[in-house]
Amino acid sequence: MTPPLLQIEHLGFSHAPGMSPLFEDVDLSVEKGDFILIRGASGTGKSTLLRLVCRLAPYTRGRIFFKGEPLEKIPPVELRSMVTYVAQIPSMASGSVRHNLLFPFSFAVNRARKEPSERTLLEMLELFFLKDVGLEREASTLSIGQQQRLALMRAILLEPEMLLLDEPTSALDAESASMVLRIVERLNREEHRTVVMVTHSAYLPEGERSRTYLLENAKLRLL
Amino acid sequence: MTPQIVEISFWQLLLGLTFILIAQAVSFVHHLGLNRDITIGTVRTFLQLFLMGYALTFIFGARNLWFTLGIFVVMAVSASFIVRGRVKEKEVPYILPTFLTMFVSYFVTAVFVSGLIVGVSPWWEPRYFLPLGGMVIGNSMSALAIALERLFREMRQQRDLIETRLCLGANYREASAEIFRNAISAGMIPSINAMMGVGLVFIPGMMAGQILAGADPLQAIRYQIIIMLMLVGSTAITSIVTMLIVRKRCFGSGEELRLTP
Repeated sequence: MTPPLLQIEHLGFSHAPGMSPLFEDVDLSVEKGDFILIRGASGTGKSTLLRLVCRLAPYTRGRIFFKGEPLEKIPPVELRSMVTYVAQIPSMASGSVRHNLLFPFSFAVNRARKEPSERTLLEMLELFFLKDVGLEREASTLSIGQQQRLALMRAILLEPEMLLLDEPTSALDAESASMVLRIVERLNREEHRTVVMVTHSAYLPEGERSRTYLLENAKLRLL
Repeated sequence: MTPQIVEISFWQLLLGLTFILIAQAVSFVHHLGLNRDITIGTVRTFLQLFLMGYALTFIFGARNLWFTLGIFVVMAVSASFIVRGRVKEKEVPYILPTFLTMFVSYFVTAVFVSGLIVGVSPWWEPRYFLPLGGMVIGNSMSALAIALERLFREMRQQRDLIETRLCLGANYREASAEIFRNAISAGMIPSINAMMGVGLVFIPGMMAGQILAGADPLQAIRYQIIIMLMLVGSTAITSIVTMLIVRKRCFGSGEELRLTP
């Protein structure tokens, strides 16, 4: 039997030893092609949960498996080439939009991947309502909302098996937010890309592969 | 004929305090609040240098290998404590690798210069080994403090960007490559600038000392050239090795950045 893509068992996290846990006994099983939405108020640990999955922070209680392998057995670089986390606050390297979309392909683990063509980049910009921005503009001069879309584009271009999206629409107006969510839903539905998204908005994904959880009072429960 | 060194008597030394009196007066008139520090600094200058003079007279006279090496270890340990004092970092344990790298690099450089280039026998002849070692330690220590401080500061300031790179598949070296380069450059620039300005903008202290002591300027410049090359070399080696080790320690086993904002 194929193990789940992501399996979280009895996971707990505290910011420091002795502090009350941010969350505890979290269990979650994610199959390939699932769309998981985790809701909860600010400060409940939604972002931390995603950061633990891609090893941006160490966990001390519980276990996390990816494709049946304990996370700590997978080389971090290999894990992050399969699981890409997109932070809520986008971070741009100094340089053009083009540079920001392409620099991940210079990393050793991504060199085997085919760098997207000019045409693909322009099509993506159009898809994300960023056609007017163009590829040569300095990325740091874009608005936070535009940077947020660029950060999501950058992650999608790497075609990871699982996308961990941390409030991907928090800085967007209603129209842009709805467009971004449609793109993510389409990626999930048509390309079977697995998505785990956290938000504190009222958005509910559609489709039979989607499930919504609530992280509240240090516990994760299915809604 | 080599000119003899002009001796400075005790009274002539006291006459030198005229400059301190001027500095005190300036501080007093302009309310700089430096009078206490100038006094302490003056007393320490007299005390420390006299102590050093007596110590060096004793060490040079004793000519003992282990004693000389012991002094060298004390110098290296003191330098690593000074670096710790300048680099306020609590999350990354950097002192031990810094000390070990400093010690090995300075020792190799000092032995190389003293034993091979200058060619004194024995190689640990304290009159050469300790001043050369002292100069290497003093200069590289400053470079290292600048580089480490810059590394930690930029790692914290650019934490989000480093994490973004990690998330996009970078290993810790790729994620911090630019910061690493900038930090090493920042540490090395003063040594390189010193090479640019030497002989044009300033006469280096060691060369000035040799000339005042009656040495032939053409001999003094040879020593100075060796010193300048030695300083740049030891600074480069110490900075790169230390920074490679310390940078690795900035990341955890999951290649996550350990430095918190």
